[in-house]
Amino acid sequence: MGFRQFWILADAMARMALKADASRLYLGYVWWVLEPLLYVAVFYLVFDVLLGSPRTDFLAFLMCGKLTFVWFSKSVVHASRSILAAQGLIGKIDLPKVLFPIASIQQSMYKQIAVFVLLLTFLIFSGYSVTEYWLWLPAIAVVNYLLIAACAMAASALVCLVQDIAMLVSLAMVFLLFSSGIFWDPRTLSPETSNLLFLINPIAFLVDAYRQVLMASTAPAVYHLAVLGLVSVLLCVAVAVVIHFNSRYLALRAVTS
Amino acid sequence: MIDQSADVLLELRHVSHSYRARRTNFERGEHHVLDDVSLQVFRGKTLGVIGRNGAGKTTLLRLMAGILAPNKGTIWRRSGISCSLLSLGLGFQDQLTGRDNARLSAMLQGATRSEANAYLAAVNDFAELGASFDEPVKTYSAGMRARLGFATALQTHVDVLLIDEVLAVGDREFRAKAASAMQQHLKGTQTVVLVSHNENQIEHLCDEVAWIEAGRLEGYGLAAEVIASYTAKPTE
Repeated sequence: MGFRQFWILADAMARMALKADASRLYLGYVWWVLEPLLYVAVFYLVFDVLLGSPRTDFLAFLMCGKLTFVWFSKSVVHASRSILAAQGLIGKIDLPKVLFPIASIQQSMYKQIAVFVLLLTFLIFSGYSVTEYWLWLPAIAVVNYLLIAACAMAASALVCLVQDIAMLVSLAMVFLLFSSGIFWDPRTLSPETSNLLFLINPIAFLVDAYRQVLMASTAPAVYHLAVLGLVSVLLCVAVAVVIHFNSRYLALRAVTS
Repeated sequence: MIDQSADVLLELRHVSHSYRARRTNFERGEHHVLDDVSLQVFRGKTLGVIGRNGAGKTTLLRLMAGILAPNKGTIWRRSGISCSLLSLGLGFQDQLTGRDNARLSAMLQGATRSEANAYLAAVNDFAELGASFDEPVKTYSAGMRARLGFATALQTHVDVLLIDEVLAVGDREFRAKAASAMQQHLKGTQTVVLVSHNENQIEHLCDEVAWIEAGRLEGYGLAAEVIASYTAKPTE
C-alpha cells in the first residue's frame, strides 16, 4: 500500500467512524463541541465558582488549556484500543497496523477543528483581538498532532500486546491533566521550575504556547517548538517502523486476545 | 497425483503454527494449530481445504494471506502476486449504510476511492438490496447482510482468492445465484483456495483438496480421492 493510498484509506475510515458515531447519538455532531464545553464547565465550577481563582481571565485561560489538552488525551486514549478493537478486520486482511491508530487520531482531529473554531470564536467575543501571533496557531497544532500521533501509535501497539496497559494510559492522562497547567499557570512558578516543567512535559509546553499566542500576543519559544516537532516526527517514524516489522505478531495478539 | 508441471503461485513448506494464550492470571497454555503442513497452490486451479471444526482451516488461510506468520517452516509467494482472504462482512459497521460499508470494504481490499465507487452499482445489482442499499446495515436482515457481504467480496480482483465458507448464505434462491457466480469465478483463470465443511461443494468446485485433521495434513491430492477417504473416515 502506497503512502497516498494509506492516507486516503485512514481518512475514509475516520470519516465513516464519525458518521457512524454521530448517528448513534440524539445530538449527533453537536457532541463534538458540547462534550469539551461540559468539561470546561465542570472545571470552571470547581476552580472559579467554588475555589475562586485570582485570575480575572480564568475562563479564557481554562478554555485555552482544557480544550487543547482534551485533544491530546482523548485522541491517545481512543487510539490506544484501536488495534485491539479492529481484531475482526485484522483476522481477515493483512493491513498495516498503524492504519488503525492513524484513522483514530484523524477522527479526533476532525472533531478538534470544530473545537478550535469554538475556542477562537469565544476569545473574539470575550474581547481578545485577533493579532498576527494567531498565525502561530497552525504551527503549534501541527506539532501537537505529531506528538499525538507518536503517543497514539505506541499506545495502540502496547495495548494490543498487553491489555493492562490501557489502564496505565488512562492513569497517565490524569497525571498529565494535573501536571500540565490546565487549571493553574506554570508561569506563576519560579522560572527554573517552569522551564524544567516545559522541558520534561511537552503537553505543558504546548498548552502554554497556545495561551501565549492567543491570549498574551507573544510568539512561542520557536526553537523549543521546532525541536519538539522534530522529536515527535522521529518518534512517529521509529514507532511506525517497529510496528511494521512486528505486524504479524500484533495480528496474532489481536486475533487471539 | 498432482500435476507438478503447473505454475506454482504459493507454497507452504513444513509450516507449523502455535501460539501461547493466557488461561488464568499467570498460567499460559500453548495452542498448536497447524503441524508440519506442506502444500502448493497452482495458477488457475482451485484448492479445497476440508476438515472439521477447529482443525486449523481458518489459520491456514490467514497464513496464506500473510495475516499471520508461521512459527516454523516457510511460506513462499511468487513475487508480485496478491492474496486476499474473503469472508462475509469485512467488519460491517451497523450505523453506516450498505453503500458506505461496501465502499469501505472495497477500499480496505486495495481499491482506490474511484474504483470503489465504480463497484457500488455492481454490488447493489448483485446483492438485490434496492433502496435498502442506502439504509443503515443495522436495519438489514441476516440474509440481506449475507448478500451484501457476498456481493462485496465478489467484486475484488486478486491473484489468489482465499475464501472462507461463503457459499452458505441467504435464502435458497440467492444461494443458487451465489453458487453459480462463484462457479463462474472459479472455472475461469482465477486461482482459489476454498475452505468449506461441505464435501459435495468442495468436490464439485475444486481440482485438488487438502484435508486437515487436528492441525495435520491428513490427505492431499485430487479432489475425488481425498473426499472419498474423508467421507469414509468415521466421525468421533
